[in-house]
Amino acid sequence: MESPSSDVRLSEHAGYLPVAGVHLYTVLHEVENPVARVLLVGPFASARHNAYLPWVRWARYLAGRHIEVIRYDYRGVGESTGIFEEMTFDDWAEDIEVLLAWLQTRPGSAPLVLHGLEIGALLAGRAFHHGHGDALLLWSPPANAHRALRSTLLRWINLERFSRPADDRRTAADYIQELEQESFIEVEGYRWSRALWRASEQIDLPPFMADEESASSACGRPVHIVQLERQAAPLVKGGFVGYDEAKDFDWLFAPNCDWITASSRRVQGMMV
Amino acid sequence: MNQALAQSIPGRELIELPGQGVLVRGTLHWSRPETEGRIGIAFLNSLSMPRTATGDSAVYWAECLANAGYPSFRLDLPGLGDSGGVIPAELLDYINAGEYASVVAAKVKELVERYRLSGLVLVGHCAGTVTAMYAAVNCTRECKGLVLMDPYFHLPQAVRPAVRRGLSEWALRSRFGGLLSNLYDRMRTVRLALRGNGLPQNANTKLLLCWKKLVSSGMPIIFFKAPARRATGTKPRPGEFDYLSYVLGVAGPNNQVQVKFVEDTDHSFANRTGRAVVARDTKQWLLQIAPPGEMEEVVLPSPHGSAGTHEELKQLQLNCLHG
Repeated sequence: MESPSSDVRLSEHAGYLPVAGVHLYTVLHEVENPVARVLLVGPFASARHNAYLPWVRWARYLAGRHIEVIRYDYRGVGESTGIFEEMTFDDWAEDIEVLLAWLQTRPGSAPLVLHGLEIGALLAGRAFHHGHGDALLLWSPPANAHRALRSTLLRWINLERFSRPADDRRTAADYIQELEQESFIEVEGYRWSRALWRASEQIDLPPFMADEESASSACGRPVHIVQLERQAAPLVKGGFVGYDEAKDFDWLFAPNCDWITASSRRVQGMMV
Repeated sequence: MNQALAQSIPGRELIELPGQGVLVRGTLHWSRPETEGRIGIAFLNSLSMPRTATGDSAVYWAECLANAGYPSFRLDLPGLGDSGGVIPAELLDYINAGEYASVVAAKVKELVERYRLSGLVLVGHCAGTVTAMYAAVNCTRECKGLVLMDPYFHLPQAVRPAVRRGLSEWALRSRFGGLLSNLYDRMRTVRLALRGNGLPQNANTKLLLCWKKLVSSGMPIIFFKAPARRATGTKPRPGEFDYLSYVLGVAGPNNQVQVKFVEDTDHSFANRTGRAVVARDTKQWLLQIAPPGEMEEVVLPSPHGSAGTHEELKQLQLNCLHG
């Protein structure tokens, strides 16, 4: 069996950044003279836990190719502090602003790429639309955040059915009704508020970001959009926990890394 | 000027354990910065989960126990979470074979030494319980107890065949499937009875031996059990081998095992009920087995200016805890 032991001391610095009374857990994959810097806007809430290992591997993959990476946990999620159910999409959008401001203080200049996955892709896309970043890479942006939440909810309900007696099983409609009528429901250990559920309908990408050509053209900066298939699990829903994390992701990482490098060179050329 | 990322914030600190060439990252929760002489708590990953666990439940538990006076560490084992190393290709088999035991034992010793703790209690959930049990055998001096949430003692398959998964889902959705599923349970019950309740072929005998060693040595263990599918209380699904009865049966007269059945939760214990019961019962259990002020060599000044007795110190700390 392969041993996970490693004597490699990674050039990774984890720490906390203060933001609005809470602290964002942030990991910098530091690179000297980077060809680009990438802000990873990761999977949301419970999706974070399943996708964590390939997400970290992706950050390390990029760092190993002279691309500096910063990844973080949304406030109220994971290692970041704050209470999840008190947070709003505006708060999570502000997280990105704070991190971008922090990245500006990093030594040396390099094109900045915003890269988001699923709901993270929506937040990254919106920040890009507001003028942040030199390039944008989106993995599996849903039509809106509501769609992503609904998909998480349905998956969770399916799992819940396995642990409940037949007479105590509830349908998706029951849960959604509860969410609409009560203040909160619990999904995979997170308390979803009615406000979050409703606000998620408004969190989407601008219409011109429906495809990368129109997005690039409208923003005047490179945009790349990739819809991940099931084989990308657990970066997307599905797959087998404890099994799929170890599989080879080069088929996904290599071309996307190439795109980041190429678009950063293009941006640098334009700057010159 | 680049603003540095803070390594610590009130009550929390990010830690790195580089000993033996294996970099393990984690988070320390504390209510008071001094850890010397205290019993610490170390949370291990549940399978491939990062150290926050489902719904960040491990963060909640670590904070609760830290507030009760136990410095609490959440660790990412090598290849998991933020730690260095490569995830083993067959993670579940790797864990079930006890391959993480030596590194966990080494990190336990590293933590005890670095923070001058009087010992550590290991906390595991699901696959994390397997690692905790194996590791405890490798560091009996430092390990003061185990918190096991839904442990298992068999060798499960990492990937269930597609046909079996399909059948399970169908049985859930369809009425006829449900009836067939009941019939299947009855057949398995008969088969189990015919086998004379002997250990199943896929029992993890290495782990069971490890369990026997731990319980016979009087290691304090609290065992949380969540409701399982088609099961009642701590009993397994009809037709499944009752590992809980078995492991309690072999525990011997000196065992210090407490079993808690947690209703209204699921296997993750991550909902409000699950996390609250686990936090409450673990805290009560810790107060019994290792009051936070239990210090063997450390002598703190008493309120009267001279060194206090052990009992006085314990009382002081209990008073602190209960305000």
